[in-house]
Amino acid sequence: MNKLLALCGLILLAGCGATTTIDEYRPSNQVMDINSEQSVVILGRRDAGHYDTDREFINCVANKMKGADIGVFPEQQFVDAIYPWFEPRTAPKGLKRLRRLVEDPAIKEQIESNGIRYLVWLDGSTETHDQGGSISCAVGPGGGGCFGFAQWEKSSTYEAIVWDLTNLTEKGRLRVDSSGTSYLLGVVAPIPLLTPVKNDACTSLGTQLKQFFTVDQSQ
Amino acid sequence: MPKTKITLFSVLIAVIFISGCSSTAQVQIDSQFPTVVSKPKPVKAAIVFTEDFKRYIASPNSKTSIDLGSAQTELLSNAFAGLFNEIEFVSAVSDVTFENALVITPSVQEVQVSTPSDTYLNVYEVWIKYSLDIETVSGDQVDSWFMPAYGKTPDSFMLSKTNAIEEAAIIALRDAGAKLLLDFYRIPSIYNWLVTEQISENNRNRSSLSE
Repeated sequence: MNKLLALCGLILLAGCGATTTIDEYRPSNQVMDINSEQSVVILGRRDAGHYDTDREFINCVANKMKGADIGVFPEQQFVDAIYPWFEPRTAPKGLKRLRRLVEDPAIKEQIESNGIRYLVWLDGSTETHDQGGSISCAVGPGGGGCFGFAQWEKSSTYEAIVWDLTNLTEKGRLRVDSSGTSYLLGVVAPIPLLTPVKNDACTSLGTQLKQFFTVDQSQ
Repeated sequence: MPKTKITLFSVLIAVIFISGCSSTAQVQIDSQFPTVVSKPKPVKAAIVFTEDFKRYIASPNSKTSIDLGSAQTELLSNAFAGLFNEIEFVSAVSDVTFENALVITPSVQEVQVSTPSDTYLNVYEVWIKYSLDIETVSGDQVDSWFMPAYGKTPDSFMLSKTNAIEEAAIIALRDAGAKLLLDFYRIPSIYNWLVTEQISENNRNRSSLSE
């Protein structure tokens, strides 16, 4: 009986794994040049009308990158240091605009004094869709409980674009797609079986970005 | 005794739930705004912050009030300082001491707020519609510039209505600063005034040299 329960549990938990795909594009295989006094800043795109790249995801990717002696400059501190040129209305969408921005000596001085070498733009969101099933909970004088079954699918799609602020060139692009189904079982007590889709996307992207800045792929 | 405790606990829980459903919000903007990174142009300007503007409290609807006065004064002072290399802040047009300067009087035309219950979107939004009345020191109108600013929260998850509106209003105020710095010198009438003023300045310099 215990073995059967353990097997059922294992099957359910295995069903909660997210499927994650990472695509990477680099124009050259040269190692990224960064020294201990320089840092990387990760910024979220916030100019789309229907979604914002959330700060929680950006902080998560930044934390994953910190492990490999890469200095990660805090997003809000960077946006404040160069106010108002990286606000949703004014942030450069392409390298052409960035080059024009950096022509301003005051902006260039801020970037250099803060030791920012690379800028990583993160753009994307996590969405919930294909919701199904139903679960209802009731409480009475004799007790209460939940009965039913619900499921929903989540998908995370994020793209990272790496800009070199010294050479003012694009160094590469990474794209992560992660999806998975979560379940909620109502068997007296509600039992959530959640798939960590966003967390998987963050871990995969953070790990890949860390390699991007540390591994010489020509070897 | 345990029954009394249970009743008290139930009442407390009910009060917490009911207060959580309260839909009124009195928002005070206390945020500090960063200094702008901008090289000001060699232009003189007097900025008129009226007492009404400095103490402005927006009431976008009967259940919401946003105290914007001190925050918008701080933000716009900072933004104007990034536009003009000689600047004075006064409370009335009659207090202006500059000559050959622009006199700018900002005012709030309207503040709008939208909540998830209004729009069925998962965000809180704030629009602040400013108007900049731009004149010369002699009282000739240069322009009346409409300057809308917009801010929204990334989502509404775990945010109280007050905190969410405050966050959206701070983003809207920052957007106002960005719009001002980006677009002010693109206003055609401002550009024309600058060209005319430059020609007049050159003429004045020439005549003073010839004397």
